Amino acid sequence: MFKTLAISALLFIVSAASWARPYDDVIDSGFITIFVYSDYAPYSWEEDGAYRGIDVEVAEYIAEYLGVELSLLMRGADENIDDDLRINIWKGDLIHRKAADVMLHVPVDKEVDARNDLAVINNAYFQEEMAVVVDRDRIEDLETFGYFTSEKVGAELDTASDFFLSNAFRGLLHPNIRRANTFADTVELYASGEVAAVMASRAQAEYIASVVQDRRSYIAQPPMPGIVRKDWRVGIAVKHDSRDLAYAVGDALNELIVSGKLSEIAAEYGVTYIEPER
Amino acid sequence: MKQNFAWMAFAGTLALAGAGTATAADVTIDDLMNDQATTDNVLTYGLGPRAQRFSPLDTLNRDNVKNLFPVWSFSFGGEKQRGQESQPLIHDGVMYVTGSYSRMWAIDIATGDELWQYDARLPEGILPCCDVINRGAAILGDKVFFGTLDAKIVALDKKTGKVIWRKTIGDYKAGYSYTAAPLIVPTEAHGPIIVTGNSGGEFGIVGAVEARNPDTGDLVWSRPTIEGHMGTLNGEESTMTGTRNETWAGDMWQNGGGATWLGGTYDPDVNLLFFGTGNPAPWNSYLRPGDNKWTASRIAINPENGEIEWGYQTTPHDGWDYDGVNEFIAFDMEKNGETIKAGATADRNGFFYVLDRTNGDFISGSPFVQNISWAKGIDENGRPIWDPANRPGNPAESADGKKGEAIFAVPSFLGGKNWMPMAYSNKTDLFYIPSNEWGMDIWNEPVTYKKGAAYLGAGFTIKPIFDDYIGSLKAMNPVTGKVKWEYRNKAPLWGGVLSTAGGLVFTGTPEGYLKAFDDETGEELWKFQTGTGIVSSPITWEQGGEQYVAIVTGWGGAVPLWGGEVAKVVSYLNQGGSVWVFKVPEQLASR
Repeated sequence: MFKTLAISALLFIVSAASWARPYDDVIDSGFITIFVYSDYAPYSWEEDGAYRGIDVEVAEYIAEYLGVELSLLMRGADENIDDDLRINIWKGDLIHRKAADVMLHVPVDKEVDARNDLAVINNAYFQEEMAVVVDRDRIEDLETFGYFTSEKVGAELDTASDFFLSNAFRGLLHPNIRRANTFADTVELYASGEVAAVMASRAQAEYIASVVQDRRSYIAQPPMPGIVRKDWRVGIAVKHDSRDLAYAVGDALNELIVSGKLSEIAAEYGVTYIEPER
Repeated sequence: MKQNFAWMAFAGTLALAGAGTATAADVTIDDLMNDQATTDNVLTYGLGPRAQRFSPLDTLNRDNVKNLFPVWSFSFGGEKQRGQESQPLIHDGVMYVTGSYSRMWAIDIATGDELWQYDARLPEGILPCCDVINRGAAILGDKVFFGTLDAKIVALDKKTGKVIWRKTIGDYKAGYSYTAAPLIVPTEAHGPIIVTGNSGGEFGIVGAVEARNPDTGDLVWSRPTIEGHMGTLNGEESTMTGTRNETWAGDMWQNGGGATWLGGTYDPDVNLLFFGTGNPAPWNSYLRPGDNKWTASRIAINPENGEIEWGYQTTPHDGWDYDGVNEFIAFDMEKNGETIKAGATADRNGFFYVLDRTNGDFISGSPFVQNISWAKGIDENGRPIWDPANRPGNPAESADGKKGEAIFAVPSFLGGKNWMPMAYSNKTDLFYIPSNEWGMDIWNEPVTYKKGAAYLGAGFTIKPIFDDYIGSLKAMNPVTGKVKWEYRNKAPLWGGVLSTAGGLVFTGTPEGYLKAFDDETGEELWKFQTGTGIVSSPITWEQGGEQYVAIVTGWGGAVPLWGGEVAKVVSYLNQGGSVWVFKVPEQLASR
């Protein structure tokens, strides 16, 4: 009787584990918790009660490759990547203290890596760029951001695009910037015709072009004076003591890229896959 | 004079209680308005609607405070500790106290026994910006009310702790939360209303003050704090706050910040609500030209219709995160033989302001912390005289990949004074301000990412100004703007203050002590180690002819989250979660 109790208590602890764990613990438990951002089409979002997106499919593939169940942790972005790494990888949130084993869509940037010594960032699987989706009937050829002194441009509030546009030409574009609280609402700004263009990541811009179908959309990348990063690589993060898990996930990602499957997944969402330097 | 006023108010309460239909155990709106004068209860956050945090009790005084001993201590239990910033309420022999993670307890004061506990079930996906604290409850009729971290307001049956109604203040998924104590005030048009502010993350939110019917939770009026937004009254649009785009560029007013996360105060004399408003968004001031009203301001609202009667901006075009939500305390100021209907507020930005509370006119602005660097002073119109050298630089102007030059701004963004409420003594006519002497290095950060894309942010670190102390409890004369005395504390002060007619000033320290000081000299007269840091506000009341003092304990709040170099001073402090009650034991009372 006592023994049974002890074992079931142990099982409970293991199944309730909600912190980032090394490889053996993940495999033994039979499940892996993977973090993806919410409201982040085409990478990850919730629609009609189902999870959708490129990163969601990547997470499913990783779990399948490791032979474990997938437990998806979808949460919003905090103020910056350092906060996201703390909340989702090495410490957990304040209320439920829940963290993931692996976080997707982490910029592979040596400064970010150096600042966050409790997380390990590697395994670039995606190449990201800044871009603009433009309605050709309103702007024939977006050679410069100067067009937005006379046409309206949208951006998701408080993102890199918002900061770039707000700062551009010493604030000259201010009257024509329309900001939306969520990415979904940013798509709506474009779909409703309120703006002639939206600045976002290239994948997001391509996604907008693919879902707003009654428009002659094109993707432009005019010069972006003062932009912080025109392009960067996207990878994964694990907790500092779980490097072995990152190796195993790296094998899964490699397979996904080399087989051409990731390119197919991206295409489903209207996104051109560019293989990052690895 | 003051004694007479107190007695009249008390007599008024008795007459009402005799004539009204409410049972003895129910709390009336008049009880709330007379809270400061009635000493056998604490019915409001701040010991009265003005939140002066002054008790007319003098049973406990400078001579016998040395005999103050604990009666009981009550643990909040479980693993849910973290910061406890709550002020208890006392009514009819029962204490109502809230704790971290949106919990509330009713405790029998005679025995310290728990009567009930309410534990809000918090959804996954809440990401509170700062800590999982709560600052206290409100009480009226047969209900107690408090706000929860998922941005709801809950009304509980005060006898049983069962939920009567529960309403949403904001969408927690969009970053809204709630931690302040609600405020209940009378109106002619709607009867009593329960008034709340809002709190949330740093982006995308718009500050608001909302009034509800305490019986049903239905919205009566709402007032956004940012110019350009429409208010509502009785379910319909009322008026716009200010003029759209007058102090904001483009569509930035739509997400301007200005959260009212600390709640407000009320002055029955001029019938106005006073709310402080938070910093503007985004943080980088170069992205939002203009004064950005009404962020970092105090606004006075008519409780009948939610109209803004006046506003006063302490930090126009804020660039330092001087999140000016600080409480505005109404008081009558004797100056040059005149009585001025004044109000005072000790701002995050390090200045202590005295305003005319009837119209918001500026009277004076005096530094209450040392070495303020962001402004050289406050001009005759009440506007800061900025020091351009000490405004954080525009990140866009630094070269890519290079860490920009740091500027040192005082105070730090945690403020000359943060959330912790000051007290105004009706005995000494001094304000007792819990302040901190610290500054911050701010530099343009090479690169950071948000939601997957790169931008230039700002890096900052908080630094003490003096080697031996950060915390500083100051006695401020509102007439002269001069500090009469100061008590220095090694760790930053993060708890509220209480003053009494017995000549005592109480406050707690992160080191774990509840302390009592002489209100005239600042001499430390008594202290008690509670075993964990104190970041809450003390109260006092009378029961069975004895004067009680209570304090909630439990280290946490924003300091350990943002510590910087300050972390060294606080890293050894242990968490906790309990409430302590003190009185002078009978055998010592006569001495």
